[in-house]
Parts: sequence; structure tokens; C-alpha cells
Amino acid sequence: MALSDSVLDHLRHVAALPDLTGTRYELESEIGRGGLGVVYAAHDRQLDRRVALKVLDFALAGEARLIARLEHPAIVPIYETGTLPDGRAFYTMKLVAGTRLDRYLAGSPSLAERLRVIRRVGEAIGFAHSQGSIHRDLKPQNIMVGEFGEVYVMDWGVDAVEGTPAFRAPDPSLDHRSDIYSLGALLRFMLPVAAPPALRAITTKAMNADPAARYSNAQALLADIERFQEGHAVEAWSEPLWHRLRRFGSRNAVLLWLLAAYAAVKFLLFFLRNV
Amino acid sequence: MLAGAWGMIGSRTYLDTDTSIGGPHGGFPSTQLSLLEAATSGLANEALERVIALYWKPVYRFIRLKFRKNNEDAKDLTQSFFATAIERDFFVRFEPSRASFRTYLRMTVERFAANEHAAANREKRGGGIEFEPLENQAVTSESPEQVFEREWQRQLFALALDDLRSLCESSGKQLQFHIFEAYDLADEARPSYADLAARHGIAETSVTNHLAWTRRTLRGLVTDRLRGVTASDREAREEMRRLWL
Repeated sequence: MALSDSVLDHLRHVAALPDLTGTRYELESEIGRGGLGVVYAAHDRQLDRRVALKVLDFALAGEARLIARLEHPAIVPIYETGTLPDGRAFYTMKLVAGTRLDRYLAGSPSLAERLRVIRRVGEAIGFAHSQGSIHRDLKPQNIMVGEFGEVYVMDWGVDAVEGTPAFRAPDPSLDHRSDIYSLGALLRFMLPVAAPPALRAITTKAMNADPAARYSNAQALLADIERFQEGHAVEAWSEPLWHRLRRFGSRNAVLLWLLAAYAAVKFLLFFLRNV
Repeated sequence: MLAGAWGMIGSRTYLDTDTSIGGPHGGFPSTQLSLLEAATSGLANEALERVIALYWKPVYRFIRLKFRKNNEDAKDLTQSFFATAIERDFFVRFEPSRASFRTYLRMTVERFAANEHAAANREKRGGGIEFEPLENQAVTSESPEQVFEREWQRQLFALALDDLRSLCESSGKQLQFHIFEAYDLADEARPSYADLAARHGIAETSVTNHLAWTRRTLRGLVTDRLRGVTASDREAREEMRRLWL
């Protein structure tokens, strides 16, 4: 059977579309491709609402079960899982209205906003680790910032996922420390060009080639970011003396001003007494 | 100077007519075992047959474009590549951890054809170069590597469509196949579902269902074919992801 290019492309397209016969969903359009599957927008006829429907390559239903276990404000909730007539697994989840992180950053948000987002991502990762799950493919394309500022970590991986080169740890096998590396790579990606050296140091520690030299968990990384935000020294960086003094100065500006004012008054009084 | 039936006009490549060898009607066996399973369980010939069924045409087209061979020379080189593959433990040398089987095969073909091409050119220097006439068959502006992948996809679907036709005939689902053929294999404008329903005297929803069934079955048959020429589930999965649009 001779197939023209146009027929071939048509077949490549229609044979990939999920057959939703017998389900409550109607296919609308493709909205993205992620680790091991394609995500479509679909209409749930029963509840008359739009959902995101992810069809997994082959029968990898484990991914849905894995995510369903992770109930967290920064993890997209799963509504239902199922199997298509061709054996592929699918699951439906909340259709998030928002912007992918890489596009969100194009709007030049402030440093404080960038750190808020990374902290939300880190909290979700830390929670997943506490449940025995790892993400495996953390990258800007898998983070959504919703219209109300909510942050969602998407596309939780299964064993078959090996990560994306720029964000993947150079570890022979992936574990929770590999997610720490990816979190560091994500932070580095999110920082503006003129980022403070303390934050750069946090990314360097998180992305250490030796997993044992990274932060031991997501909470430790977040705690260092919090220390930076509160003007304390971060664990990842032994800062030079002048930098420490400057940080002390900016943290204690009011006290220093009061001390200066006190010294000035004392000096003035001393001066007046001796005139 | 140009040797072989090959030339360039603008950015397009022109070749003489392709061979019809290596089409999907070769009666090659359908597959269940993965490539390596078959090769290591004493079914090396069966595994090779699968490979030839799927890859003969892509290899032939790749050689034609990459080494500017005419139809006959490309056929000979393709035949001798597969003959050599049988002699030289082709499967044993394949390391799934380093590349997909498709990439491995293309690189092996490239090495093999480059050696043969160099040997042929050495001989010609003693005798004289023969020029083949150009024929005006526009082929492609893609690279040989892209053509190889495209032909691989085309052959994979062509084989699966043959499987689908046989399956429909043997299971009394000719109507499903006719509807699928009229709609999904149409090169020109596609008929509407209403037209198809009227033509076959069935409800429009039945047209939808029949198309859904044939597409689903086709997908399964493509998957089967693909599993037969890949070394592992992971490789099959990665190849599938390249395949679907």
C-alpha cells in the first residue's frame, strides 16, 4: 500500500488520538506533551466541566496512582483514572488556567516573586518525598503559575522517565537527591542575571555533582532561601567579612541609625560642655 | 562530475524511479517477541526477516540519497548490506544502551555503504566513470537521515495496514475497513461522515464507531510491528513517541 506523505501524517495523527468511546469525556484539543504521554483538554459530560485528560503511552497506570496519593495545594488533583479500549491508561485532572513557568518568567517578576514560586515548588517536592515519591523531571515546562498566583508542579514521573538534560542530575540512578539537584537547576534558571551571590551559592550546593554534598532534603534548601530572605547567612556560602558587615548593616539599619543618633547627641553634649 | 542517476536543481533532489522491492506485501511474519528476544532465542532469521520487511525500503532510499546511487546500484547495495548482516552477527553487535535499533541500523548501513562506495570508486578510476541519465522525479529536499526516518514510518504503517486488512477480512469486518479506507486513506478531499453513512446505509454514529475501532486496531498493529524491531519496552516507547503526531 503506497502511502503519500499527507495520508501518512493523517494516520500518525488519528491513530494517536485517544478513543474515548464509553467514557464520560469528549476530546477537545491537545494542550501539551509531557513525560510519557499527551495531555488534552476534554469536556466531562456528566459534570459539565472542562478537565485535563492525560493519555499515557502504554499501560502505565502507576503514574496516576502515584499522583492521586499526593494531596497537596501545589499538586494538581486527580479526578479519575481509566483505561482506553486500546489498553493505554489515562487520567483526568483539574484543568489549570495559568502560565507555564518559563513563559511566566518572561514577564520579569520581582526577585521576591520568583522566590515565592520556587518555595512553593520546593514544598510540593518535599511533601512528595515524605510520601516516598520523587518527581524525576522537574523543569520550567512542568510548573504552572495559576491566575490567582497559585503554583502547580505537574507531570510527576514514573520509572521510565529519565529527566531533561539541563535539569537532570548526573546521577546513575534517580532518587530524592536527584530532585534536589533539579530544584537547584530550576532556581538557577529562575534567578535574574544580577542575582545575589548567596542565592547563586544555594544553586551551586543543590547542584553539586556529589549527591551527598547537596542539601539533604527539600526543606533544608528552602530553609536556606528563607535565611537569605530574612537577611541571615545562608549555609551554602561562607561569605567574606565585608559582605557579612554589609548584611548586618542592612538587617539592623534602625538600630545602627539609633546608635549613630545617640553617638551624635553624646558628641554634641560633650562639645557644648567643653565650649 | 556527477556519477550515478542523481542531480540537484535548486534545493530539490531528483532521482530516477525507485524500486518496488521491499514493499509491504512480502508476507513477512507478524511479530510478538522483541528483536533481541527473537535473536537470542534461536530465531535470528525470523528477527532478521522482520527487520528486512520494515527496513529494506528506508535503507534503499537512504543509500540512494546519501551516496547518490542509481536504482540498480542502490538495490544491489541494499541487498548486499542485508546479506552481510546475516553473515556478520548483526544483532549480536547491537548494544541497546547506546542507541535505538533504528539509529544503529542506519549508522551501520552508512558505514557499509561508504566502504562499498569507496571501493567502487577506486575501480572506476581505472576504467572510467559511467553517467546515468537524470529523470525528472522530484523526490525530496530533506536530508538522507530524514528520508530514512520518513520511509521507516511509511513502511511501518504500510505493514500495519496490510495486517489490518487481513484482520478485517478474516474477522468479517470488511465494512469497517472500507469506511476507514474511504476516509482515512483518502489522498484527496475526505467524504463527510454523512456521505459515508448514506453510501453504506448505516447511521452516522456507526461510521464514528467503525473509524474509532479501525484506528484503535491500527495503533495496536503498529505497536506490535514496532515491538518486533526494538530491543526493549523502553526503546519501543521512545520510538512510539517519535511516531505519533
